[in-house]
Amino acid sequence: MFRSIAFALLASVAPVACRQAESSRHVDTALRDDFGASIRIPATPPQRIVSLNPATTEILFAIGAGPRVVGRSQYDEFLKPARAVPNLGPALRPNVEAILGAHPDLVLLHAGAENEAAAGRLRQAGIAVVALRIDRIEQFERDARLIGRLTRDSVPATILVDTIAATLARVRAATAGMPRPTVFMHAWERPLIAIGGGSFLNQLVDIAGARNVYEDLPQPSAVVTLEDVIRRNPDYVMVSPAAAPALRSSERWQALPAVRAGRLLIYDTLVVGRPSVTLGEGAVSLARLLHPGSVH
Amino acid sequence: MSPWRWLLLVLLLFAACVAGTVIGTIRLPLSVIWDGVRGVGDPNSMMVIRNLRLPRVSLAVLVGAGLGVSGAALQGTMRNPLAEPYLLGVSGGAAVGAVMATSLGIGAALLPLAAFVGAIVAVLAAFFVAHAAGSRGDPRVLLMAGVVVGAFANAAIMVLLANAEPNAVRNALWWMMGSVGEATWSQTGWLALYLLIGGGALVVVGREIDVLALGEEAAAGLGLDVDTAIRRVFLVASLVAAATVAAAGLVGFVGLVVPHIVRAAGIRRHRALLIGSALAGATLVVCADLLGRVLRPPAELPLGAVTALIGVPFFLAKLRRLT
Repeated sequence: MFRSIAFALLASVAPVACRQAESSRHVDTALRDDFGASIRIPATPPQRIVSLNPATTEILFAIGAGPRVVGRSQYDEFLKPARAVPNLGPALRPNVEAILGAHPDLVLLHAGAENEAAAGRLRQAGIAVVALRIDRIEQFERDARLIGRLTRDSVPATILVDTIAATLARVRAATAGMPRPTVFMHAWERPLIAIGGGSFLNQLVDIAGARNVYEDLPQPSAVVTLEDVIRRNPDYVMVSPAAAPALRSSERWQALPAVRAGRLLIYDTLVVGRPSVTLGEGAVSLARLLHPGSVH
Repeated sequence: MSPWRWLLLVLLLFAACVAGTVIGTIRLPLSVIWDGVRGVGDPNSMMVIRNLRLPRVSLAVLVGAGLGVSGAALQGTMRNPLAEPYLLGVSGGAAVGAVMATSLGIGAALLPLAAFVGAIVAVLAAFFVAHAAGSRGDPRVLLMAGVVVGAFANAAIMVLLANAEPNAVRNALWWMMGSVGEATWSQTGWLALYLLIGGGALVVVGREIDVLALGEEAAAGLGLDVDTAIRRVFLVASLVAAATVAAAGLVGFVGLVVPHIVRAAGIRRHRALLIGSALAGATLVVCADLLGRVLRPPAELPLGAVTALIGVPFFLAKLRRLT
């Protein structure tokens, strides 16, 4: 269940995302993916889609394009129906031959530097490739709408985006007047990795009525040291259920006042772990952890 | 060597340890640090000193001392300036153990044990290969056997990592870069006990290493059972290195460079060389850890990278003098 976090962290060396022009509604050739390649909206909706990214796979299933997904990565196991789709292996440096073997007419990849070569080779084979990077909530919204246009499911895609936006607004309103504690978001232990300001998790914590002590770091995540965490002295430590026992019993972590006082917030990795269709649910669950009783 | 040089070695180590305790991300006044060391005063500062910095500096001392002793003993016994524990399969074997542990999802607590077992298996394999090749009394065969085992270990690591989960790859790579940042008192205690026994045993056989360093014929002429003596030193030195690797991952170049520095300071006899290498190795690793902490805050540079960055210029200078 931590795979998607690890996946998002591992992929943090990607080229700068190219912003999709909102005025592109009329000129489709102006649409570009996060590798800078132009996106063509096909005349007929794609019938065989390979999606090698948990977030895009979930979007496809959420907007009703799930039955047309013919391949997924080994990480896309959060949805039960997605598990039935053939597993084509890794999402980073994917197995191009396995993708070709699925005979796709659209391939969705994570826009990380590791995937550039594969994207090029698939395009050479005449397959439409769209590489997307989803670190932030805005990117999720942009990508959900884009995928909706690609698969001709624009209406459900808009409903999905609007529903999540409404949930996020509701949570933000519910926690607006409350005191805002500071949190350290523990993503990994060896090395110690913190969630930074570039991550959707930073946004979710903000919406849920708290402040990430590493919001000044521009990256989605970064290696930090325990002593630096102690210097920033968070009110709470947000940690996954798997990592919590080790933190509690570690004599090193006892040097952090929040751990010593038992102020650990154990988050639900299934809903908070990835920037996808569970964003609204994730914000609600974080708000309930940070401000019990604030959101119903 | 004159007592002044010994005093200098001890003072350098002491200064490094003080710097390692005083300097850190959190700036603390000296009085607060002294209170923390004594276990009084503000509990937060005390915990930073007692739970983070002191165990860390202590582990760095032990790892450096262990690698220094091990390298000095092996270079003397093998009569080879390039001999060091990592060249003899210890690092490769330990890395295979660690990578297997991470890719099989074994908890982090058991990783040091897996690394230690891996190192011992590799050392025994090198022994076995050398024996099968008929190494009686020839340290070069043992050395080559170690290189072969190391190469095999590298291949095994690549096979294991090629298809491992990203999380396992990350854990394994981090471990291979070496770190004393997660030191705990229980860990340093075990390593101290272990090094006291292993390092002590090497110092005790220091005279034998002196004789071995004369060459196997001369040593045999002096009545030494050369084959047994070489194996004994090889085994104990490898075990000492394996214990440091289990505690801190791969910290390269220390076992190779430190004995050269100490010899350059004029120490020749192996008992003194071993103790000198322990002191100098400890100083080097404490300084390298400190550098890694302050060079790029809030992140840290891996210890193994810093020791290599320090070690390479030393070795280049040594090479220039040789040619």
